[in-house]
Amino acid sequence: MKMFSVSHKTAFVVDHCPYMAESCRQQVECDVLTKSRGQGMIPLAPVSKSLWTCAVECSMEYCRILYDVYPLKKLINYIVSDSEFHILNSWRQEDQSTHELMSALAAVGPPNPQEDPECCSVLHGLVAAVESLCKITEYQHEARTTLMDTADRVANRGRIICLTNAKSDTHVRMLEDCVQETILEQNKMAAGSDRLMPIQQCELVLVHIFPQGEDTLVSDRPKKEVSSLLTSEVHSVRAGRHLATKLNILVQQHFDLASTTITNIPMKEEQHANTSANYDVELLHHRDAHLEFFKSGDLHMAGSTSRDSGLKETVTLKWCTPRTNSVELHYCTGAYRISPTDVNSRPSSCLTNFLLNGRSVLLEQPRKSGSKVISHMLSSHGGEIFLHVLNSTRSTLEDPPSISEGCGGRVTDYRITDFGEFMRENRLTPVPESPDTEASGKPPAERAKAQLERYTRYWPMIISQTTIFNMQAVVPLANLIVKESLSEEDLLTCQKTVYNLVDMERKNDPLPISTVGSRGKGPKRDEQYRIMWNELETLVKTHVAGSERHQRVLDCIIACRSKPPEEEERKKRGRKREDKEDKAEKSINKDSEDKSWQESERLKGVVERVKEEQGESEVIKDSPDSPEPLNKKPRLEEIQLPEKAKGPVSLLTMWTNRITVANSRKHQEFAGRISSVNNKAELYQHLKDENGMDLHENGKATR
Amino acid sequence: MPTVVLMDASLSMTRPVSLEQCSEELQRKNLAVAGLTMLFEHMANNYRLEFTSLVAFSSLWELLVPFTRDYNTLQEALNNLEDYDKTCLESALHGVSNVVQQEWGHACPTQLQMTDTMHNLEQLLQLNGGDGQIFTMEGQLCLKSVQMFTQIMLIDLYPDFPAVLRCGNLASDVQVFPRPEPVFLDEEIDPMPRHILTDLEIVGFIEIGDISSPPVMSRHLVLPIAVNKEVDDVGPGTTEEPEEETSANQQAGKVPNFCVLLHGSLKVEGMVALVQLGPEWYGMLYSQADSKKKSNLMMSLFEPGPEPLPWLGKVSQLGPISDAAENPYGEDDSKSPFPLQPKIKRSYAQNVTVWIKASGLQTDVQKILRNARKLPEKTQTFYKELNRLRKAALAFGFWELLKGVAELLERECTLLPDTAHPDAAFQLSHAAKQLKLASTGDSQYAAFDQNINPMHTDFSGGGAGM
Repeated sequence: MKMFSVSHKTAFVVDHCPYMAESCRQQVECDVLTKSRGQGMIPLAPVSKSLWTCAVECSMEYCRILYDVYPLKKLINYIVSDSEFHILNSWRQEDQSTHELMSALAAVGPPNPQEDPECCSVLHGLVAAVESLCKITEYQHEARTTLMDTADRVANRGRIICLTNAKSDTHVRMLEDCVQETILEQNKMAAGSDRLMPIQQCELVLVHIFPQGEDTLVSDRPKKEVSSLLTSEVHSVRAGRHLATKLNILVQQHFDLASTTITNIPMKEEQHANTSANYDVELLHHRDAHLEFFKSGDLHMAGSTSRDSGLKETVTLKWCTPRTNSVELHYCTGAYRISPTDVNSRPSSCLTNFLLNGRSVLLEQPRKSGSKVISHMLSSHGGEIFLHVLNSTRSTLEDPPSISEGCGGRVTDYRITDFGEFMRENRLTPVPESPDTEASGKPPAERAKAQLERYTRYWPMIISQTTIFNMQAVVPLANLIVKESLSEEDLLTCQKTVYNLVDMERKNDPLPISTVGSRGKGPKRDEQYRIMWNELETLVKTHVAGSERHQRVLDCIIACRSKPPEEEERKKRGRKREDKEDKAEKSINKDSEDKSWQESERLKGVVERVKEEQGESEVIKDSPDSPEPLNKKPRLEEIQLPEKAKGPVSLLTMWTNRITVANSRKHQEFAGRISSVNNKAELYQHLKDENGMDLHENGKATR
Repeated sequence: MPTVVLMDASLSMTRPVSLEQCSEELQRKNLAVAGLTMLFEHMANNYRLEFTSLVAFSSLWELLVPFTRDYNTLQEALNNLEDYDKTCLESALHGVSNVVQQEWGHACPTQLQMTDTMHNLEQLLQLNGGDGQIFTMEGQLCLKSVQMFTQIMLIDLYPDFPAVLRCGNLASDVQVFPRPEPVFLDEEIDPMPRHILTDLEIVGFIEIGDISSPPVMSRHLVLPIAVNKEVDDVGPGTTEEPEEETSANQQAGKVPNFCVLLHGSLKVEGMVALVQLGPEWYGMLYSQADSKKKSNLMMSLFEPGPEPLPWLGKVSQLGPISDAAENPYGEDDSKSPFPLQPKIKRSYAQNVTVWIKASGLQTDVQKILRNARKLPEKTQTFYKELNRLRKAALAFGFWELLKGVAELLERECTLLPDTAHPDAAFQLSHAAKQLKLASTGDSQYAAFDQNINPMHTDFSGGGAGM
């Protein structure tokens, strides 16, 4: 595969001399009279294209196909020649479009038949084409700059396609000699220049165009070597559709294209909307899409047919009406851009519009045996249609072992959902290239990797390895701490999360500590909190180097987890009772976690009744100042909590709670009780709010 | 890469080996069988997923065992090998080519193992574009040297590809199977083979719908391996006892592994992980399920280069969504930043004008006339089609057509029924006049980017004004 092969640069030289204004003598009837209207009317005389019009439209078709299949790196320089040369565009990528060329051609206009034929010659254009081939393209420049000392590996080759009306074989030879001489001359000049490169190889393709009904004065000649630098071939073609066919064959030869005909495309008839007929559409694409057929010698079996001059071959593939729109990852060994041969015919545009609207079509390779093999797929990506080659042979990877049979395959409590969430947060997006992003240092992909690094500094892979990631209450902090930088608001949210955890601990809320592997009751409540705080510290510590605010989150945790005296005391008292309560609470906690914890069978009945009332509110707790979550029942919780803080939850207590809750719904709760902590309401709390939050006092958050 | 073992079963293989150091009497065939036994054992232990087939040849060839992972069958066939007439490599190679293509198609490189000593093998390699290797026995032909030789060959041909798969700080030791082959890019500019890194780093994640069945060069299983396991168990001598191995495997099964976590989430979320394989070389990791509901972590290699998939753009320009001002996937995952749109639309997406076939031209003219008869309702479409034709005619230097269409419009004007809206006549004659002016090539009227605009008419005043 060579980047700078002959097809990197193509110079079109189109003869614009007076004789090209001659008619091609193929008439087009453009006044198609209908029977009802046609009576007594003299139809408009048919129009006829000039040789120039034929040359231009066929060369444009060549360019259209080329740009469809190779939007980049295959460049065209279009030159028109009469009494002088006119270069219509440059090698630059942004000049490469049919619209640009058509606009420039309109400015040139048809040849002027009145011009003096003696002054006019296609030679001016050929000389300009050689000069142009010496000019370095942006791709050659880029390759040379990056290679530096091995810059000589960057080759300079090119092709000149000359559309002209030659006078004789001698005239053709004169043109070849002239190109050869110019190459030698230009190469000398190029040797001493930075912006020019000597031509190493040039292919001259002379297309002699002559009108219908005339005998050609120039004979066809296959490619021959004029010199080590130049090869030349001559095609003598009648103007009109013969010329179009010739250039279609040439563009295929020059750019390694091949043709596929999609057959059996069902299409609604224009006239009769409820009937549908089957159509064929021919597409051109890189010939590697047929590689499998070539190598296996299946080409003829695959339904290839020879058409036109016998030079053109097409492989027939059958349309398979798509059933679903499901997203599937096909094993695809190649994808090649396509160009319809007959772009604005109705079947072509129906097919391309169908694909551009986002549908994909599988294509079947007809086989003599009658077996069905799906070998290709047509699909569009961002307004470009590709022919995908699907693997249709046996895979060497068939029947692989299941991942569950390998390392880590027996572990059942992977945090699959959490990692899924992690992946969504680490999805990629294209970042427009701009000088700004370059200035900021890291390219986007490196920033993406850096983000993955931050997000995974502490990331336990299984549920039973973590406490904090099983707690809804930690989510706000866990989501923020991985950020590259924290805002003041982020910091506040993190601090609130910590205060909330302090609050939970003070209220002695149960934690989703894993009991997997440990028999019996598992760790005690204060031990559970110690584990939780340690884990949280581990998480935050991995990020303290990030910024001063990250450090402040850690400071906040360290400050808060030192136990306030009141709680220490409470704990001493509560320890004895805790043992008893443990069993009951653990199961409540498990269930409320909405994770795949095994329910304790024995307590299932109790749990289910309780869950209804208090389940959700057990673990999801925000600091008092943060907005209420939607599904939270604040009144319910406020009433329960003082009860819970006192000690073990017996069945009676639960039942009483339930009744209390039911009753409390019937009346408006006293404002003081709602905001009370341990059934004590603080007075004049607004004074505190005005002085900022006094949070460390007694470890209580105030409202 | 499947392996074909091509065994010479001709009489020449029954020649005895000259015995100086060896005690037993051995034929060349016995040595070859011994070597292949080692090969099969090695494969059974270390390359369990490799397909191997056995072809015997003399003047004819025969497929003894089609591609299989059952090394016992291969061994059995090897042991029952009979002797035939003379060596004829050419027909054998035809046979191999048949066997390989029927089974795997062209795209599959195949290891060819041949057991015989032959002088023209080098020529054969040249025919294959120098792609291949010849191993010849050194020194005396005897059982020991055959074993040594096989050992050397195994290390060379069937190396492992141990790698580390990383996602930030999460990592797993993995075996990539089959081993990724080096890739050549532009041989002129970049003649060095490219190898994939043994450190496979995840860049980020993309939805399956967004990556959209991309073309890949090759596919590989990514199998997590236990870190503490001995890596250098190349020869059959160093392989562990089967029982020990299973218990070690069971142990490894219980240790959480990142590959399993990644695989599970990729499968559930319908996503792929974009992984960097080298400088400007990328691939994707995804969950691949076979029909039996077994699934595994698979890695596909994109073609090396900064932009392997046009619809993703340059991979180095793919950044984290947190860098974007607004989540490009939308708050409810209703949007996607992919696929990228090319700067210039392809011909089939932009209503180009092609008149190579007469029917193309006729259709365009008829479209104008159809709209002309429905003026003033179809004024916009009429002028749109008219301007499309005008642009193409100017570019192709087809002024005659402009004159022709102008005449057609003038005729339509005379054919207007009495009931026609007065505006129709004004628009038709205005359009005809503009086309005629353009057909003179006068730069004032024939500019490509200029359009003929509808005439402004004012019927309340009873007359027409521009």
